[in-house]
Order: sequence, then C-alpha cells, then structure tokens
Amino acid sequence: MHEVSIAQGLLDIAIEHCTRQGYEGIESIKVKIGKASGVMPDSLLFAFEAMKIGTIAEKASLTIDEIPVSGFCNSCNSNFTVEDAYVISCPNCGNMSLRIETGRELNVDEMEVF
Amino acid sequence: MKVKLVTNILEANDRIAAENKKIFHEADVYVMNIMSAPGAGKTSLIEKTIKGLNGKLKIGVIEGDIAGTDDAQRIEGLGIPVVQINTGGACHLDANMISEVIADFPLKDLDLLIIENVGNLVCPAEFKVGEDMKVMLLSIAEGHDKPLKYPLMFQESSALILNKIDLLPYTDADIGKIKKDSLSLNANLKIFEVSCRTGEGINEWTKWLQSLVA
Repeated sequence: MHEVSIAQGLLDIAIEHCTRQGYEGIESIKVKIGKASGVMPDSLLFAFEAMKIGTIAEKASLTIDEIPVSGFCNSCNSNFTVEDAYVISCPNCGNMSLRIETGRELNVDEMEVF
Repeated sequence: MKVKLVTNILEANDRIAAENKKIFHEADVYVMNIMSAPGAGKTSLIEKTIKGLNGKLKIGVIEGDIAGTDDAQRIEGLGIPVVQINTGGACHLDANMISEVIADFPLKDLDLLIIENVGNLVCPAEFKVGEDMKVMLLSIAEGHDKPLKYPLMFQESSALILNKIDLLPYTDADIGKIKKDSLSLNANLKIFEVSCRTGEGINEWTKWLQSLVA
C-alpha cells in the first residue's frame, strides 16, 4: 500500500547518486525486494512509472528482483527457503527456533547511467 | 555505465527516525507507536490509558489520520497536549511527519508520548518513526485469521492488545488461535486482553506500560 513512498525513495536515491557523480540521466534501475517486505511488485512498477516523469530517470526501466524468505533452523541445523511471505516453523523439522536471513530486503541494487 | 548502489530504500526515513529517537531520549520521553486496523479502538485505548494512569505519567499524544480532527478533539477533552497529523491520503505515519510536530510538545514536561498511527494493518509496520516500542491492537471482531494474514505487524510489535473481549460471546473468533499464531510469529510478544468499553483488563495494561516508562 505504500508503494508510492517506496518508488519515491528509490528515485531519490538513484537521482542523487547520478547527479553527484556528474551523469546526465538514468537508463535502468534494479531493486531487490524481499517477499516479506509487504511491497507488491506490480504496484511498485505502477508507482515508479508515474513518478519518474519529469525527472532524469524519465526514460528509466525498473527491474524488480524478488528475494524469497529464507533462514536457518537452530534445531536441525539446516538452511531453508519458502514460497510464503512468512515462516513459522522449519519446513524440514517443524521446530520454531529459526533465524530469518532473507526476505525483508528493500534495496536499490544498481543502475545504468549515461 | 553500471553503478552499484546497494542502498536501503527506507534509509532516509530510518535516518530521520533515529534523529527523532535521540531527541526523545535526551528529553527522557518514552515513545509508543500504536498500530491497528481502522475501528479496532486505538483512540478508545488511548483514552482509557490516560484515565487509567490518572496523572501518574505526563502524557502527550500525536494523532495520525488521513483526514479530520475527531480523534484529537477526543484527547484534547482530557486536558492532554495533542497534535493531529493529517497525512492527506498516505496510509501510514513516517519519521518526517513526526519530526515536524516534535516542537509542538513540551517534551521536557512529558514522560510518555503516544503516537496513534493511521488505521492500517500493513504499512505502519514498515516505517520507523523514532519510537521505543510498537504496540498492536486487534479487536476480537476482526477474526482469528489476522496474525497469519498480516504477519509483519505482529512480528514488529512488542505488545498485542486484544480489544473488545466483551464481544467474545457474539463472535466465532477463536482467541486461543489468535494468541497461538501471534506467539508463533513473535515469541516475545506480550499479550493483553481488554475491553475499552467495560474497562476489563485495562489495569494490567497500564501497570505494564507504567513499568516500562518509569
């Protein structure tokens, strides 16, 4: 629901870096979004397309790399990856003593500038 | 040409939240961010908390709503300093909105600042505002499926307040399942059962809150 704030945040970061390093514009931006971050990729793309207009990222495309929820089980000492946006118990042994390692990302990864 | 960034998109918000937190700590004010769906009873809980503490803590309130000042008027009626933030459509409060109203409070005279977030079970959990603790309110009538539908809110909160327990006989909500699923998502969650309407359970809640602030 707050994809507009997220789109604005990633545009701010990309445009600031681009300007500071003396480039003219942005061709593409790649972001990493965790499945447990609460951000819907389609809504983020929609917000990005609307908000880039009139900026030096106007022609930029946005690529979203979705990161699944993964972690480590302290009981069976194994790594796991799930499809859902959350994990309650280890998919291997059912124990609830877990360390979540990925899935909450909201990162601007890289961009192409000209 | 490729440029590597690897920057958190919420970095700007998190930075302002950290600045807010520093200001609150320097003034020795404990800050609680209350989150829930619309209609769960956030403003009623704040009213009951203020009345229950009965002057034992000096309290200020920030009311976050998309529009309107109804909530702030309710709190003002209790003689408590209150500021209304209208987000104008945004579904959550962010650190910058809080930063802009800090100066409106006599921070040095306060023990506790309560921030009532915009009614929404998704976005407020993502945005730090400089709080010491996030508290989630869930009313029984919303149903027992909510913890697994909105896991982030339950994972981010320190306390879960189950409101409207006086309605239990009239709903099919399974309070045992709510507690079990919530604790599965967050084993450290402190759970309170209250009714803001009858006052049941409010005393346990305010005692616990007071122990955190003192």
